[in-house]
Order: sequence, then structure tokens, then C-alpha cells
Amino acid sequence: MSLPDWSGEVARYMLEEGLRNTLKIAAIALVGSTLVGITLGTLLTIDFLPLRALIRLYIEIWRGLPILVTIFIMFFALPAVSLSLRFDALTAGAIALILWGSAQVAETTRGAVQSIPREQHEAAAALGFGWVGRHAFVIMPQALRRLLPPLVGLLVNIIQNTTIVQVIGAAELLEAAKRQVERLTAPPPAGVGEIHSFEIYGAVMLIFFCISFPLTRLSAYLERRLS
Amino acid sequence: MTTVLAFGLDFSFLADTWSFIQDNFDELVAGLRRTIEVSLIAIAGAFVIGLVLGAARAYRIPVVSQLAAVYVEVIRNTPILVQIFFLYYGLTQGIGPWPGIRLEAFTVAWLAVMIWGGAFNTENFRAGFEAVPARYNEAGFALGFGRLATFLNVTLPIGGRIALPSSINTYISVVKNTSLMYVISYPELTTTVLQIQALTLQTVEAFTVLAATYLILVWTMSALIRLLESHLALPEDAR
Repeated sequence: MSLPDWSGEVARYMLEEGLRNTLKIAAIALVGSTLVGITLGTLLTIDFLPLRALIRLYIEIWRGLPILVTIFIMFFALPAVSLSLRFDALTAGAIALILWGSAQVAETTRGAVQSIPREQHEAAAALGFGWVGRHAFVIMPQALRRLLPPLVGLLVNIIQNTTIVQVIGAAELLEAAKRQVERLTAPPPAGVGEIHSFEIYGAVMLIFFCISFPLTRLSAYLERRLS
Repeated sequence: MTTVLAFGLDFSFLADTWSFIQDNFDELVAGLRRTIEVSLIAIAGAFVIGLVLGAARAYRIPVVSQLAAVYVEVIRNTPILVQIFFLYYGLTQGIGPWPGIRLEAFTVAWLAVMIWGGAFNTENFRAGFEAVPARYNEAGFALGFGRLATFLNVTLPIGGRIALPSSINTYISVVKNTSLMYVISYPELTTTVLQIQALTLQTVEAFTVLAATYLILVWTMSALIRLLESHLALPEDAR
């Protein structure tokens, strides 16, 4: 059984354009979510009510909204508020994913930071560390061990949720696949005049499975090793 | 000008939003009703799937357990949006002797989130059942209960409560995921609001209403978790 003639060009576009953009959005979203989330989560442990309430509101809003709605807000609603807030599809999608992802990370970070014994804070303070130094050099390195399994889990979710950026036309893997399905239905020479949605969307599922499955195993392994 | 100050203390923005709701009330309610309808069907289905397959996984019932594991891994490791595309667009293509299957948007709407929620719920219930200490089951056997009766009277009530918070979280995600039916043009809440927005160009008002409605739905459900948790807490946890 050999692959049909049309498959080479389709695969090339899906991998070179689609998968590349998917990984790009995922990488930006992961780094952004981690940095913003760890900062907010650490600030959440400060006993100052207005600050806590503000961060809590941030977490509950971006965790509560469907990511699709957040993406639409970033892409359609912000430019309606001010023209300077106009982003291209990839950027709007990445911002939406960072808002959602950082809310997840903040919540787990709070728990991880609070799980570090009081004595560690006191010892660091006795060594002359300020609040920032204490958290950056003493508390966070220890909390990171606990954060690692959920961060790998977050990466899986981010990679899967990049597909939602398809709704605003960003050329990630799903959008690339959709474009190829539509192209193939056109008569030659552009397409082949046939529907190949089953194979192509099936291939998209397979690609995501091959990326996600090892990562979910890794996350589960890290979780077990920790406990 | 009114919209620039939307996040300040400009009350005309609130008035605009209120008139947006009044002008499109019937469509908005119809959209919200479809979101709730699809969610309820999916949640009921996901509950049954989770209960049955979760038990099959926990008791390692041959064949069913392995099939359930494959189902769970495939659904959890592929994006739900791709699953929706596959169900709605992928299945229409016939393969060899098999004709294509054309599912209605409504069918895909509840089916996709039900399959998705069922996979996550299988894991929730499996973990819940496995968390029931073995000595509880042994006590059940000692009292003369059979395997099924022990499951129904001991494992289910205790394991079900352990699984409750995580399964309600899954149901909340199910409600949020119904918004993805926008891609198949099923007129639930998100699709409805975007259609109104395209007609009226009241972008800020439309997204304010959309976001607020989802937050009310989701926050109500999370509040319900806390209420149920305290109500159904196991006596030993309540101490």
C-alpha cells in the first residue's frame, strides 16, 4: 500500500507551516504562562487583602472563561476598545493562552510556595535575603520540584489548546489541515476534486497524540516520583 | 469615546450593554438554552460513561478495561477541537465500501463533549473507586455481600464522593467546551452572540454579555462544588 499522490504536498504544508506555528504558539504561551503565573502565585501568598483579591479575580476570570471566548475578546473586542490594541491572529491567540495558562500556574504556585516550611523563610531572612531574594533564590527552587509535574501537564494542555486559535484563522496545524482539505476538493490542477477530510483530520489527531502521549506519561512519572 | 472609557467609570457603557441585552433578548435566551441543553445531555452521558468504565478500570474487568484505557488515552491526548472537526467533517467522507456519515450539528454538539467528558470522568471515577480502602470491601464481604452488592453499597457511595469534586470540574469544562461548537455553526451561546455582533457591530457590548454569562455559569457551578462537598463529605473528613 503506497501513499496517494496528493499526500506529499499536504504533509509538507501541514508540518512546515502548521506544526511549526503550533509549536511556536505553544512555546511562547508556555514561557509566558510560567513567568506570569509563578509571579502572581508567589504574590498571592502575601497577606495583603486588596492584592490577594485582585490576583484572585484575575485567576477566576481567565480560568472561568472558555479559551475560545478569551481569544475572541483579544482579537475582536480589544481593537474595538482602542485601535492600538490590534494584534495579528498568532499574537492574540498567544496572549489568550498566556492569560489562561498563567491563571492555572498561579493557583498551583500558591500551593507549592505555601508547602515550603516556615523555617526556610526564616533561615533565608536570617541570612539577609530580602523578600524578592528569599523567594527567587531559596523558596522558588524548592517549590519548582513540586511545580514540575503540573507544568508538564500544562504544556500538554497548551499544545492542545493552540488548535482553538484556528477560529481566528491563525495557520496552526488544524487550520493548515483545513486549508488542505478545502484545496483538495477543488478540481485539478489546484486540487484533486475529492474529499479527504477523514485521512487529514485523522492525521492531525495522530500528530497531536504522538506529541501529547509521551508528555502525559512524563507528567505521571514525575508525579509518582515526587510522592 | 464611550468605549474608550469602558473600563473607567462611564455608566453609558453599562446602559449600552443593558440595551444590547434588551434588544436581543429572545436570541440570547435561545442561545443560552441550547448551551444548557447540550451541556446537560453531555453531562448525563459523561456521568454514565465515567461510572461504568471507571468501575471497569478499577476492577480490571478484562477487555472492557483495556478498551476503556485506549479510549481515555486517545481522547485525553488529542485536542477536543480536532475531535469535533473529525466527527463533523471527517466522518462525511466514505472510505472504500463504507459510506460517509453526516451528523447534524446538534448531534456533534452533545456527542463531542459527551465523549470528551466521559474520558475524563472515567479517570475521575477510577481514581475514586481505587481510593476506597480494601478493608471496607473486605468488611462488605464479611457481612455476606456479593461482589456487586459490595460495589453498590460500599465502593460506589464512598468512591463516588471521593470522585465528586474532580467530576464536577469535568462538568464545568464540558459547559465551557460547548462554546467550541462555534466552529460547526451550532447556534449555542457563543455562536449566537457572534452572529448578533456581526449584525449590530456592538462588539464591546456583545463580548461583555458573552463573558459575563459564562462567568456566571462557571462560578455558580464552582460554588455548587463547595456546597456539595460540605454536604456530602464523608463523616471522617467532616471531623
